[in-house]
Amino acid sequence: MVLVSEEDDGALVQRSIHGDRAAFGQLVVRYQKPVYNAALKLLRDAEEARDVAQTTFLNVFEHLADYDPSFKFYSWIYRIAINESLNVLGKRRPYEAVSGEEPDGAPGPDREAEGEQTRGVIEDALMSITPELRAVVVLRHVMQLSYQDMAETLSLPEKTVKSRLYSARQLLRDILAQEGAI
Amino acid sequence: MADAAQLALVHAEIDGELDDRQRAELARCLLADPAFRATRDELRRLCGRLDSMKQVDPPTEFLDGVLAALPPSKAPTALFRMPVGGWRYAAMLAGVLVTGAMVIKLTDGLGGDATEMAGTLAGSRAPQSVDLASISRGAVAGRANLTQHGSGLVLALELTAGAPVDVLVASGKESLTIKGLSAGRTVTALPGFERSGQPVNLTFMAGGREVGRASLE
Repeated sequence: MVLVSEEDDGALVQRSIHGDRAAFGQLVVRYQKPVYNAALKLLRDAEEARDVAQTTFLNVFEHLADYDPSFKFYSWIYRIAINESLNVLGKRRPYEAVSGEEPDGAPGPDREAEGEQTRGVIEDALMSITPELRAVVVLRHVMQLSYQDMAETLSLPEKTVKSRLYSARQLLRDILAQEGAI
Repeated sequence: MADAAQLALVHAEIDGELDDRQRAELARCLLADPAFRATRDELRRLCGRLDSMKQVDPPTEFLDGVLAALPPSKAPTALFRMPVGGWRYAAMLAGVLVTGAMVIKLTDGLGGDATEMAGTLAGSRAPQSVDLASISRGAVAGRANLTQHGSGLVLALELTAGAPVDVLVASGKESLTIKGLSAGRTVTALPGFERSGQPVNLTFMAGGREVGRASLE
């Protein structure tokens, strides 16, 4: 979770709109990690995640004047990141296997720690559910958003968000139980 | 077996979204049904593991890449946030600028294509991929991605092998050199470059000689 006040984001947005690139740089610094990790968890490809994160920030910059301050800034930026990631997933060919590529600095397939193996199993399971269900899991468990913020980010009713999250967890639980991983 | 309403209580508990009445209801269900308790424990374990998924830092050059790829200043959009009184001055300024542009256009005697001016005043657009090329011939390897941001072009180079190289980027009358690239990703804005139908040619140089080429349409 990124713990910042909306006022701070709003001030940086205003300065960015008026051409202050350093202010926009501060917004990038503030949100680059959650945006990159959300894309990484949705795509499981470090290179694509980096491209999605970069495109997200460029789109944000291009459309700063369209930002509605009655919404949380991070909901807006996360929505762009999620949509960009879903677009990339939509362009993947159906037969394309998940690369399983690890991000820079991450251990390779020879990792030995049990914790790492468990995480790999969890992430494998996550990739086996639909992108729409995966998105709510990422928003909840990676970005630590509340139901209300998830609904705002996805432009969905809170009831729908909860339904998707519960369904996703049930599926993940079934998958991991079959593998004896839970 | 737990029903959907009972499971919803467990999910809400895990997410910290239970109110007092729901908490009491959940406690009653847990006391009454050992199987439901097991289900709840399993869901809590699952969510604990999901919460512990590793987060990584973005690549170190990420911020620089984003800032380098930003299109020209967005200051004109600030006009839309002016107080009402400011519009009068904005209108006057716009009138002066348009009149000045017309005078310059008339006095230079060239006539010209109306779309040229329309192009320079056109609003910015979302980034669009223009072309992607693999660099596999010669002493360097990797890929090049040309993207349009607003009216400008941005080049992303991802080199996976080869000694440090200089890259000469040229299209029409525009050219620039990116010096000292080694393996890794570099994002560079191409000021003055436009999508004019002409290719953007990349020439990779090392030690004063050409070691590879790529062309992006």
